[in-house]
Amino acid sequence: MSEGDRFVYVTYIRTTPEKLWDALIKPEFTRQYWAGTWQESEWTKGASWRIMIPDGRVGDSGKVLEIDPPRLLVLSWRNEFVPEMRAEGYSRATFRLEQQGDVMKLSLTHEIDKKGSKLIEAVSGGWPMILASLKSLLETGESLEATRKWPEGI
Amino acid sequence: MGNGDRFVYVTFIRTTPEKLWYALTKPEFTRKYWFGSSLDSTWGPGASWQLKTPDGGLTDSGKVVEIDRPRRLVLSWKHERFPEMRDDENASATFELEPQGDVVKFTVTHESDKKDSKLIKGVSGGWPIILASLKSLLETGDSIERTRSFPKGI
Repeated sequence: MSEGDRFVYVTYIRTTPEKLWDALIKPEFTRQYWAGTWQESEWTKGASWRIMIPDGRVGDSGKVLEIDPPRLLVLSWRNEFVPEMRAEGYSRATFRLEQQGDVMKLSLTHEIDKKGSKLIEAVSGGWPMILASLKSLLETGESLEATRKWPEGI
Repeated sequence: MGNGDRFVYVTFIRTTPEKLWYALTKPEFTRKYWFGSSLDSTWGPGASWQLKTPDGGLTDSGKVVEIDRPRRLVLSWKHERFPEMRDDENASATFELEPQGDVVKFTVTHESDKKDSKLIKGVSGGWPIILASLKSLLETGDSIERTRSFPKGI
């Protein structure tokens, strides 16, 4: 996908591989830092995957392309609730977890094989806050307030 | 600087703009999260600044181009330590602090007028852990362990 758009974000979280993995995929955690949303999947290679919005809409969906707990998760990813983003088809999100001393290095790459992607533009604005809130949740027990609910009017 | 390289990092820290500003501009704070280094200046417009390792070695220096406490700081940036990163004569770092509810949105933009800048490549690898450690320090009182001293062998 080297010809398309790509968003890369790296952060470091003082936690364990298992806790970070659980926080990335389990609804009771994602609801706290990912705008009130949760994911539904069997979490096996090839399984379908989707993000549920609290009002019942599906936010994004795709398949689990690769999964190696607690190190690697690759998802195909299509937006489902904004028509112009849905029309872009499938992007790919890669989460890499790497233990480094007292912290986990979390690297996220979200990419698509087209230029000028509205989806990548949108997620580039969203991921920094979601991942900052995830870090706060794991390090302090409390996520960032603005990320606990789905934003009004979206 | 629209044609050169640029690194942008956004994070959200549960703190106040004043505390974040303090942590950014006081050597006793920067030493805790910036690999033991001291960022020092009189912080007036046009003043010089230096970033020094714990043993006093100069790694980076420049001038205060803009300062609007506690909202915005622009530094001209010249690397001094590694020969391959020293030929970037027109680089700058911009720090923007914006309160949003219980957090401060913190944006760091490090840019050069050069393409394929070794300086921007270098700082792109460093900023994520420095800023993650700064967030940990302000939210939990403890920075990330390996950012408290200068890496051995560099």
